[in-house]
Amino acid sequence: MTQAILFGVISVLGLITALGTVLARNLVHAALMLVAFFFLVACQFLLLEAEFLAAVQVLVYIGAVAILLMFGIMLTRNILGDDTTTVPKSTRRLSMLIALGVFAVLALGIATQQQGPPGRKPWKELTERPAVGPDDLDRKTPKAQIVNDMAKFVGRDLLTRYVIAFEVAGILLTAALVGAIVIAHQERDDDPATRVLESEAAAADDAAAADAESSRTLLTSSSTR
Amino acid sequence: MIIYNYVFIGMLLLGALGFALAPLVVVALVAPSKRSREKSSIYECGVLTTGETWIRFRIQYYIYALMFVVFDIETVFLYPWAVAYDGLGLFALIEMVVFLIILSVGLVYAWSKGMLRWV
Amino acid sequence: MNASTGWAAPILLAQQPEIPALDFWLIVKWLLILAIVFFGIFPGIVAYMVWAERKIAARFQDRIGPNRVGPLGLLQPIADALKLITKENIVPATADKVVHIVAPVMILVSAFLVLAVIPFGSGMVAINPPSGALYLIAVSSMSPLGIFLAGWSSRNKYSLLGAMRAVAQLVSYEVPQVLSIVPVILWTGSLSMVAIFDRQVEYGWFIFSPPGLLGFALLTIANIAEVNRAPFDLPEAESEIIAGYHTEYSGMRFGLFFLAEYLSVFGVSCLGTALFLGGGTLPPPFTNALQEYVGTYTTGSFLLTNAIYVPVFMAKVGLYIFFMFWVRATLPRLRVDRLMNFAWKFMVPLSVINVFIAAVWYEFVFRPGQPRYLIGWTVTGAMVIVSVVVMISLYRASDVIEEAEIASRPLPGRGRRPIPTGSTAR
Repeated sequence: MTQAILFGVISVLGLITALGTVLARNLVHAALMLVAFFFLVACQFLLLEAEFLAAVQVLVYIGAVAILLMFGIMLTRNILGDDTTTVPKSTRRLSMLIALGVFAVLALGIATQQQGPPGRKPWKELTERPAVGPDDLDRKTPKAQIVNDMAKFVGRDLLTRYVIAFEVAGILLTAALVGAIVIAHQERDDDPATRVLESEAAAADDAAAADAESSRTLLTSSSTR
Repeated sequence: MIIYNYVFIGMLLLGALGFALAPLVVVALVAPSKRSREKSSIYECGVLTTGETWIRFRIQYYIYALMFVVFDIETVFLYPWAVAYDGLGLFALIEMVVFLIILSVGLVYAWSKGMLRWV
Repeated sequence: MNASTGWAAPILLAQQPEIPALDFWLIVKWLLILAIVFFGIFPGIVAYMVWAERKIAARFQDRIGPNRVGPLGLLQPIADALKLITKENIVPATADKVVHIVAPVMILVSAFLVLAVIPFGSGMVAINPPSGALYLIAVSSMSPLGIFLAGWSSRNKYSLLGAMRAVAQLVSYEVPQVLSIVPVILWTGSLSMVAIFDRQVEYGWFIFSPPGLLGFALLTIANIAEVNRAPFDLPEAESEIIAGYHTEYSGMRFGLFFLAEYLSVFGVSCLGTALFLGGGTLPPPFTNALQEYVGTYTTGSFLLTNAIYVPVFMAKVGLYIFFMFWVRATLPRLRVDRLMNFAWKFMVPLSVINVFIAAVWYEFVFRPGQPRYLIGWTVTGAMVIVSVVVMISLYRASDVIEEAEIASRPLPGRGRRPIPTGSTAR
């Protein structure tokens, strides 16, 4: 019973923060609401007894992606991210309709499943919690052992059964990094500040050369005096 | 149940929130409050703010954050590998070496292109 | 799917069996721990850590430090707290009021949450989740976001600049901090902090091995950088960018930042001690002297072992904090580009290499039935020395190349030479 209440509360808060992300006027406020949403997703993982995933969610999303998002906002907007982003009224109704349609398809598709994945019951008839049934407090079943020590089993599976996916993930990350560096490299070369610096430097060189010229003529003229 | 541990975390979170907000409440009650225009303006070494509050941010900050994201995810893969290391053989070590070499290629590329330089 | 089941299944929640309820006395115990230890003892330790820092820094600088308020200046933290509370709360008119409060609260909460999984003794840990180490780094990764919000919400361009620099620094040093913990987890085979403690009771402190020593050094440097202390305190240097991200915070709001910083210092010291210095165990010959009492959790053995473990733990944490004070009093501040280069070009590759040296050590010491220390020490010691020397020379070489390139870049102005940037390769 308390679990249903907790789930309800976290879900409602999640919906509110998600709506806040979409409807907020200030971009940084929207990003903050998104951070709160990530935190609530981590709480949902905890409700499902996946504490490894909850920790990874907080670490990667709130620790890394949110900061990347904030820096991206700072880089592309001016005045401290104060640009307001509002969707024009004409498309607002259409986009809401589409979003509701997607939600309806997903919800009805999940809730009215007649058959689950092969070997498993459909979603609405699932009654097992991952780790604990009323008689399983000592974590004797293999499933309970897995869930209560998730990191070890994730590691084992990652390196034996899903190793290709693991290496491909590494390649994907490197590709993203290299791509971003290529774009940033060009942007740094096109940076007007650098161009100003170089043109100023050229002017300074000319000025210095002219100075040297004039001082040399002065010296020679003074020495011949 | 293991998850009950996180009830403690929830309590600690609420307690820390209260601990942080309580002095602010005390300040609101106790501290004087004489607002003036100079006090409420932005501090810039005593000079009035000139120009808009707008700075052109360099892309360098974004590059560091991006590299952090990549290495954070590398960490997320390293932790389960380290936990499961005992039961896995030499093959797992080789696989992890391959993964780390793939990610180091990214780091070395950034280094050689001068992107890790704080201009 | 036919419409009758589609419509007649409005429940979007899967069925849940009943799970056993939380024990009432456990909640009472937790409330007591929270009230007494987390919100009583820890803030007290932190307040007196501030006093200790002022006294110790003073002695390093050949002066006395606070000695007027109470005997030996012991009431100084109380005076400081009263001062901060009674100061006027000045917030800029254009600042973002809500985010202005959220930022220091976020940093303080993250600092408190770190302390929840540290084992202060045998069985003296608030909670012990199976993924304690991952929880710890996840929670401590929330603080850069708080610092960014602090700088942003002030609407002050210097605060924002300081905040972005601070976040770049924190984020860069978080990678070696997290990677240097991987050897410890490899040796333990579990993410639980109590399991790490137990493993050190059995095998000795993790620092007494070449990869452990390297990992401890990397973790310490990263810890000092993560809490913005000298020589990495560019974000809050008074001579640099006014006061960085907390320029517009006055009175108790600044007090919250201050408290959060010192609480983080305490937190990362506890982390380093618990991971590498063996938690509360005694130095090497006696490390597992109390082992036969550790296993049995009767009240007598619990009190006896913790009466020794907790003070030893606090002594180690005190030494770690003293080391951080010593470093602050001794070293000058790092320049920002050297700071970032040091993280990415030296510490990150070295931490990655350390993971493999740790795997080699594991093969020699932990996997066979009889730990083979001598060959382990020679092989891994050689690997550590070689990798450190290689990384230092690579870093120096890239440094020289970079400085040559900066020096050859033309500067505006009357063709003057750039000021030599302090490289020793002259």
